[in-house]
Amino acid sequence: MTITATAFSWLIAIALVLTIAAPIILLGLLARDWKKGQLW
Amino acid sequence: MNLVNTAILDPATGWFILAAFSALWILLGWYFGRRNQRLDDYVLAGRRVGLALGTATVMATWVTSNTTMAAPQLALQMGIWGMIGYSLGSVGLFLFAPLARRVRRLMPAGYTSGDFIRLRYGNFAWRVFLLISLFYSLGWLVSMGMAGGILIHALTGISYHYGMTVILSICVGYTLLGGLRAVIGTDFIQALLILTGAVIIAFLAIREIGLDTIHASVLADRPELLNLLMPASIMFLFNNLLFGVGEIFHSNVWWSRAFAFREGVGFRAFALAGILWAPIPIVAGFIALATPALGLNVPAADMVGPMVAAQILGTTGAVLVLIMVFAALSSSLDSLLAATSILVVEDIYRRHLKPDASAAEMRSATARIIVGLGILTWILCAPRLTTLAELLYFTGAFVASTIWPIAAGLFWRRANTAGAVAGMILGSAAGLYSYFAVGFYVAALVGAAVSMVCVATISSLKPAQFDFADLQEMHPLESSSGGSS
Repeated sequence: MTITATAFSWLIAIALVLTIAAPIILLGLLARDWKKGQLW
Repeated sequence: MNLVNTAILDPATGWFILAAFSALWILLGWYFGRRNQRLDDYVLAGRRVGLALGTATVMATWVTSNTTMAAPQLALQMGIWGMIGYSLGSVGLFLFAPLARRVRRLMPAGYTSGDFIRLRYGNFAWRVFLLISLFYSLGWLVSMGMAGGILIHALTGISYHYGMTVILSICVGYTLLGGLRAVIGTDFIQALLILTGAVIIAFLAIREIGLDTIHASVLADRPELLNLLMPASIMFLFNNLLFGVGEIFHSNVWWSRAFAFREGVGFRAFALAGILWAPIPIVAGFIALATPALGLNVPAADMVGPMVAAQILGTTGAVLVLIMVFAALSSSLDSLLAATSILVVEDIYRRHLKPDASAAEMRSATARIIVGLGILTWILCAPRLTTLAELLYFTGAFVASTIWPIAAGLFWRRANTAGAVAGMILGSAAGLYSYFAVGFYVAALVGAAVSMVCVATISSLKPAQFDFADLQEMHPLESSSGGSS
């Protein structure tokens, strides 16, 4: 049972989108914690 | 076929990058730690770490050099399931999320995972656990130190001993300066560097070659890598999952974070870190599948990631890989140094040798242990005795045997001492036997299974009636001096 080109592309694309989103989420949370005085 | 030299950068460029990032980490270590006053500030970052820093430190610590280097290697050897199997390492983070919340709630003044085992199961179980935990910590430290030397040498040509010495010295230096605050603060920046590097390399690989071309060339040259029913890969997948769960459940690296996060942060930080970590091995790993399309001859499977990056991106790609690897190594090594030092100081120095140690003496002992661990790691790394995978998977049998004593101990009042001790000892023994008799890929699986049977059976035969309030032990330093140094 071989993974199709479409499924392979979707797998990599979803992983890439999540990895691109990760630093944005972390920086957003950092700004929120900073404003609330909850960084440390 | 192109044969690429594994030393992709020249040593001068390598030294420049190492010097620049070493200076940055030391400066940040001093900056983040400059307001440390109490012992808790130094060893547990003041117990008030927020969600952003909490999520980033969990994620960055779990991205080791193995994630960035072994994920491509596994993709090349085991195909699709190699990458997905590696990404299931995130299951341990998800499963630890409710444990982190419960640990923080039940033990608001706790310091180490050893504290929990001692209070829950008594002194004998505690000492068995300490042996396992310290053996694993040393194994992980040595594997990271060796990885530093090997990878820096492979990427830049700088000698193994110089590379290993640089990475160990820098991590010891900034952990010593700023304690857990320095570790968590630098982890945030290291997480951003790792994520950015992985995205750039993956994005350019897709733009240069194309996913369809990668798929078509693998299908033509190595079709087994795209097979979804590859038996060895599926076995690896489950073993890796349990190994990861065992590593996270028992290690003080993760417990110290559960104690350090402010109330209400632990569950969300571990769960979010699991979501954000899961795609990294796939993004870092799939580029290995570009080797047939590029016509690359790979002399060493563990160097496939940097080789593909350098082939696609030239020197820029190699620089990016070096920065990613340096960040991944530092973020794990510093966490290990900080968490292992407090484990040694609290569970061995204070509990066994000097029960009346003051906060100042404990802080001084922590600093000495950080330096001592660095030196011991260097001595064990110097002869380069075993391969990274062998060393790390050898510890799999031990750590997997702690999963059930810890999980049952936290949530099941009937779990008893005999079950926990038998689970850890017999689980480790069975896991070790299977490691030598069958292979590395079943050690954690067998260790966890035997441990589960021991904990469940023995605890059912003579159930304990543990009162979880007994875990709320007041630390002498907290009660006598408010933990001040």
